[in-house]
Amino acid sequence: MNSSAPPWRATAWAPTSTPVASQVSAAPAYIPVQARRSLASNKINHLPSNGSPAPQPNMSAADEAPRPRVEFPPAVRLYVQRCFAPENQVASVSHSEMQEKLRHVITDAAENHKLDMIDWERLALPQVMIQNERNKILANPSVSNWGMSSLPSSPGDTGRKRKSTDTNQQQSGKESPPWRKANNRNRFEDRVTYPSTEKKQRMTLDDSSKSKANLEMRKKRFEGVGYGNSGTSSPVDSPSRSVDPDQGPVVGRCQTLEKNYFRLTSAPNPDTVRPLPVLQKALDLLKKKWKQEGNYTYICDQFKSLRQDLTVQHIRNEFTVLVYEIHARIALEKGDLGEYNQCQTQLRVLYAQQLGGHPTEFKAYRILYFIYTRNWTAMNDALADVTAEDKQDLAVKHALDVRSALALGNYHRFFQLYLDTPNMGAYLMDMFVDRERLTALAAICRAYKPDVNIRFITEELGFESDEQTARFILDHSSEDTLEEKHGSVRLLTSKAAARFEQAKAEANRIVDIKGQI
Amino acid sequence: MSNSTPAQNKADPSEQPQQQQKPQVLEEDDEFEDFPVEDWPQEEAEQAAGSAANGGNEHLWEESWDDDDAAEDFSKQLKEELKKVEASH
Amino acid sequence: MELANQFRRAYSTASGPDLAAVLTPIATPNNPHRLHSFYQFTNIQYLNKDLHTNLFHGKSPKVPKPEQNAWVDIFAAYWEAVGEVLKCEDRHPGSSAVAIFTAWKKLANALIRGYSGSSGLPAWTLPCLYTVGKFLRTFAIKADVEAASQDSSGFGFQDDLSVEVEKNANLEEAARIMNRMFTLCLSDRAPIEESRKWGIYETTNLLFKTYFKINSVGLTKNLLRALNAQSDDLPPLEAFPKSHIVTFEYYVGVIHFLDENYAEAEKHLSTAWRLCHRGAFKNRELILTYLIPCHLVTNHHLPRKELLAPFPRLEQLFGSLSNCIRKGDLVGFDQAMSAGEAEFVKRRIYLPLERGRDIALRNLFRKVFIAGGFEEAKDGQPPIRRTRVPVAEFAAALRIGTHATGRTRVDTDEVECLLANLVYKGLMKGYIARERGIVVLSKNNTAFPGTGV
Repeated sequence: MNSSAPPWRATAWAPTSTPVASQVSAAPAYIPVQARRSLASNKINHLPSNGSPAPQPNMSAADEAPRPRVEFPPAVRLYVQRCFAPENQVASVSHSEMQEKLRHVITDAAENHKLDMIDWERLALPQVMIQNERNKILANPSVSNWGMSSLPSSPGDTGRKRKSTDTNQQQSGKESPPWRKANNRNRFEDRVTYPSTEKKQRMTLDDSSKSKANLEMRKKRFEGVGYGNSGTSSPVDSPSRSVDPDQGPVVGRCQTLEKNYFRLTSAPNPDTVRPLPVLQKALDLLKKKWKQEGNYTYICDQFKSLRQDLTVQHIRNEFTVLVYEIHARIALEKGDLGEYNQCQTQLRVLYAQQLGGHPTEFKAYRILYFIYTRNWTAMNDALADVTAEDKQDLAVKHALDVRSALALGNYHRFFQLYLDTPNMGAYLMDMFVDRERLTALAAICRAYKPDVNIRFITEELGFESDEQTARFILDHSSEDTLEEKHGSVRLLTSKAAARFEQAKAEANRIVDIKGQI
Repeated sequence: MSNSTPAQNKADPSEQPQQQQKPQVLEEDDEFEDFPVEDWPQEEAEQAAGSAANGGNEHLWEESWDDDDAAEDFSKQLKEELKKVEASH
Repeated sequence: MELANQFRRAYSTASGPDLAAVLTPIATPNNPHRLHSFYQFTNIQYLNKDLHTNLFHGKSPKVPKPEQNAWVDIFAAYWEAVGEVLKCEDRHPGSSAVAIFTAWKKLANALIRGYSGSSGLPAWTLPCLYTVGKFLRTFAIKADVEAASQDSSGFGFQDDLSVEVEKNANLEEAARIMNRMFTLCLSDRAPIEESRKWGIYETTNLLFKTYFKINSVGLTKNLLRALNAQSDDLPPLEAFPKSHIVTFEYYVGVIHFLDENYAEAEKHLSTAWRLCHRGAFKNRELILTYLIPCHLVTNHHLPRKELLAPFPRLEQLFGSLSNCIRKGDLVGFDQAMSAGEAEFVKRRIYLPLERGRDIALRNLFRKVFIAGGFEEAKDGQPPIRRTRVPVAEFAAALRIGTHATGRTRVDTDEVECLLANLVYKGLMKGYIARERGIVVLSKNNTAFPGTGV
């Protein structure tokens, strides 16, 4: 193979055609070879003829198929393999359901020429998609469990409630909600008065209370019928339903405050879309409900429908920013990073348009978030978004300091910063603080001899007490790494070093997988 | 890329005015540029054929520390700094 | 017709580059009316007939009929695209960058058909594919800029805004067409001397550039996987023209670089550097922009003055940073980092450069160790450096030049933390005895491994 002459060498290079860059070619920059004379070359006839569909970037060597055939890129094939891998099977999703969904995903991508545009490695598997869709249906609020739901507290929720602005129902009503505490600059928010439409709310909720009813509604929607819970009548074949996306925004006329979220697959019915004044009231209602009831599943669903109504009506203003910010904060508080990340991505776009809001607060969160997910490419983008002015902001400065402390392995500084986190950043830092403790312990165990007082570790790594430190150490190593000496408990560094090294690697590995949300 | 697009050759100053009024977009500032010729002999490459395969560029890199003659100065500065600490105790 | 003559000349000498030059959508200095005269030589009605006559009749090389037809299709599409280009240049009403792109897409598709169909264009004409692909990308970018200025709202039926997605719609479409060019080359199973496989790296490079532009570097992995899967059937990389190799190695290096895979990045960037043409100033500068941070991370080597001297921009980026690292000047290092921050972040080299602080710190502590002098020599033995160094001395070194007043900026715990990190990273050998407040360093010139002390 090496010896055969490639076509670019088997070519006569007409000297006139070689552009002479001033510095470049004093001597001819090519290897002159005999010109090729015979043009009637052996025909290449094994390729599919003209009209074959675009993407086929990897013809397998094996098939010299007589008729055109779409060959999928390796990434797609790997994706399919993963779908069928035993460890990825989900009990509640049957094989045929999964295959049907898979077929749909792939034909859809092929028809839209997106086979090469999709990041197959990260695309959710069809079984997961099906589960998510079901969850969305089931997760709609039902009166029966309303107000009683108590979600597990977020992972790092230790006894130390530093900046927690948690306003779960058990807390006294005079506590301000997180978004108020975090920002008292929300003039717009304060301007909107809350209307007394509670009774109506209750009724609509009753209508949509049963998940069965929701399923029914969803089914109808696919049949081209409007939302069942809109409260207003919707004619089955309303001509306004077929709004072309390019024909401009929908103008909603729904007056109901609450609305469950459904993913749209076609133009929405204006009868089920709430106009801005209604959305503003809806937001007030949601804030109140969140404060009183703290039902995250309900709130999240309502916010998603709020966002959707804004989008289909092309509403992009200060209110839009406010909705995304509040949703992001609530998601943060509940440790729902998937939802948080969606809001964060949208906020970045909105802030770029200078629509107000609290860009610095969220720029800071974004930096902390990418520390957590260890996404350095995204981190670079986040750093590029920080202006000199932003750096004057306390939260931004804090997040930047956290980043650089970790980059340099300065756990001492990191834990000082951890104990002094502005806004709701602590919810994010809680997500990775244990990981950084393990990283620090791995270094400490290698650098100190023969042992260290665990009081030192308590203070250095932001633990609340020696007991907590000891428990943490025992959780990640074994009893023989601790020893009581001269009335204090000491960590035997050489014994523990390998254990913490391993625990550190494990913690980072988990996040590398989870971080791909 | 190929040497097939002489008019794209930015090295030729006579091209510039003409290109500016044309609708073609010039390459971005920080984008890897197309080479004006497709191939060239090793003598014209950064590391000429004569130099050793691995060591040819070694003279362009150096160790990251510096045993400079200012070691005395540093020693003095360090002593002063240490004295300051003792004084403050 | 001049253009047809060019075509016939290129064909009779089988010169790919000459042939590709015919398909460029720009005029040349020695023929400024090149496009106009081609466009005016015929009209849409007689287009195919005239092309046939001019390209292939008379004293022309013997070209098989299907191949002739393919070229007529290609030049018909080219003629229409040229029409759009000229309209735009004359600011004709109804002209637009999108229209040029649309017309150029037809040309790209006609060319792809010419290769994949029964007409079987020979592999020596591949430079046409590169040229058409290159301008496809250029026109797509123009079209996107135009679309953005006309503010097509980014709303669809998505739940959220979709501004980011819409921004590069045309370039993404161009990428899909380029992907077909890539496949066209990769999947060719003709004997290697006749194979389009020789076009694989150049089409890959085109896609690399495009994916970088639309900020979808992740998609380059699909290409690399496809190349890898076929690697046994490809000629060795060294057999390709240097322009293909250097561009390819540069992008592969940068891709690894962005993944923080610096050792791998360094390998590819070094190859790109070695083979790069000495006259290609801008490209050499770009290669070094990433190669220098790679070296810093992998083997802690710094660029010499001689390396930076020809590149004022690199001198500005890395010059003072390197000096501060060498001298162990942390204050200066931090200043240089923040002075260059915007540029570093833009070039995506901030994060690896930041790691240079460890090296600067190592050098500072190394100076403390050297300043500590030697133990009293025992009868006749060679002198041994003092290996027990109080933490306070390292702390004092950190304070030099910081102008810390009153309460010291770094406390003992932080100094220990920095020491612990150097030990952990293997830049320093020894241990901290916390209760005694000293660092016990390794003997026999191994306290700072690899640096002679």
